[in-house]
Amino acid sequence: MTSATSTAAKSAARTTHGAAGATARLVRTELTLIRRDPLTLTFVFVFPVVTMLIIGGSFGTTPTPGFDNVDPSHWYVASYLTVIIAATGLITVPVHLASYRERGVLRRFAAAGFPRWSFALAELVVGLFPIAVGSAILLAVAAPVYGVPHLHQPGRVLAAFALGSVAFIAIGVLLGSLLPSARAAQATGLILFFPSFLIGSGGPPPNVMGSAIRAVSGYLPLTRVTDAVRDPWLGIGSATTSLIVVALLAAFAAVAAIRRTAL
Amino acid sequence: MDETRAVYVRGLRKNYGGRTAVDGVDLDVEAGQIVGLIGSNGAGKTTTVECVQGLRRPDSGMLRIFGLDPHGQYERVRALIGSQLQDSALPDRLRVAEAVSLFGGGDGDGLLETFGLAARRRSAFASLSGGERQRLFLVLALLNRPRLVILDELTQGLDPMARRTVWAAVDRLRQDGIAVLLVTHELDDAQALCDRIVVMNAGRVVDSGSPAELVERHGRRATIGFTVPVGSGWSCGRLAGLPGVDDVELAGDRVTVRGDRGAIAHVGAALVDGGWVPSDLSVQVPTLEDALLSLLQDTDPGAARAARESESESDDLVGALR
Repeated sequence: MTSATSTAAKSAARTTHGAAGATARLVRTELTLIRRDPLTLTFVFVFPVVTMLIIGGSFGTTPTPGFDNVDPSHWYVASYLTVIIAATGLITVPVHLASYRERGVLRRFAAAGFPRWSFALAELVVGLFPIAVGSAILLAVAAPVYGVPHLHQPGRVLAAFALGSVAFIAIGVLLGSLLPSARAAQATGLILFFPSFLIGSGGPPPNVMGSAIRAVSGYLPLTRVTDAVRDPWLGIGSATTSLIVVALLAAFAAVAAIRRTAL
Repeated sequence: MDETRAVYVRGLRKNYGGRTAVDGVDLDVEAGQIVGLIGSNGAGKTTTVECVQGLRRPDSGMLRIFGLDPHGQYERVRALIGSQLQDSALPDRLRVAEAVSLFGGGDGDGLLETFGLAARRRSAFASLSGGERQRLFLVLALLNRPRLVILDELTQGLDPMARRTVWAAVDRLRQDGIAVLLVTHELDDAQALCDRIVVMNAGRVVDSGSPAELVERHGRRATIGFTVPVGSGWSCGRLAGLPGVDDVELAGDRVTVRGDRGAIAHVGAALVDGGWVPSDLSVQVPTLEDALLSLLQDTDPGAARAARESESESDDLVGALR
């Protein structure tokens, strides 16, 4: 972000009249635009559902030690919600934000007097909306095919899901605010997404991975989010450490992201 | 403080990490006036208008927008200004009507009608032509019924036809009594639209005045050309001594006389007195481009060198200004 933008923002922050209205208009417009974004459609709404259907049916329904003694198809249904979170945070949000920066859209918002934090709020909504819709689609498709597994600890699952979403949206905003162009954001996002997807959520279970891959997997933010969602969901465990890591990640990334997107 | 004066700037200074971007600039814009801010890239134009809009805080100097301080009274000043920023687009998939609604609604429908975009209300930004985009930016800049409109490189990249449509739109603002500050290095824009031009170089104002005044001050030379009959015994010496004539050149049967604008009348009179009225008499008077080129050559050795090294006269100035 340019110093002009941040100085503009400091001035715009003093604008209070109509601030709520301007923020609401920005959020509404951003929601409209994200619905028209083909990357959202492909990676958030279609890709997780299709891959979940394929891999969820690949290992049968008999619990095995590799899948922590739970039904493998349920193991994947619970895991794939975080594929949606990763696709949103690593692909959709960074490309969206980088294209705005590339085209000077943020400068225009700043000059038009939008409240300082309105764009950060809009980006949070822009991330949460496709995650919520994508998750609903995924569960709706999974229900008649594999069934939606019983929620053992719904509070923890919801907390992990919400914190993981905020963490990845914030990471997406940081990527989008650092990478120089939409193309760079897309390339970087895909490079980060696929390894995370394969060893942190939607690929083989950690129990069957080699030790090196499993060690790498343990350091991936997405692995932590997936553990924190899946384990309490399926009754594998509480995944308290992962939940704390995800909460800290969400807090730090969100503060950094909000600072980067001040108009 | 005069509250009717749209822009009042005195002694504006702004440094970026030791580099002086704006160095003691004075600027005035009255209501119903189009003032052009002209200069090469890095001359300090954009920094100046960013300070005027309250988007940057100046290091020193006095700024007043309709008598208000753009920093201390940002909100009130913001409500008076509409701006078109350089290199600032909209999201590709945002539709025209959605953009109007996002940036405040206001009399959006009326403005879209006025600027010929009513039929494009449902069109995505990406599908608009360059001229339509610039007209949409004008609509967005006018949504809050501003009394001062700041337009930064408004016609960049437009074809001549689109440029004229945008000119007509800007001229309409002047008729409505709106003050317009036009930042440009397109001299056609400045010549077509501006009541006054402020020329900046290296952070300073090097001159200001109406286009005609600038031409008068800095583009004094005129070139007169005609053909003389072969074997007529024509002598260049008859013209060389006329008032205002600097030099006379005879190449074959073609005579070229250079001098100030007064020389045109004297050469014409001398030809008629001498009984020779050439049918191919041509007179080139200096344009704003010539004037500003000359001004920049006087104030910026780098620009002058660039101009001398270039062959085409119109490209010279564009090159020098960019």
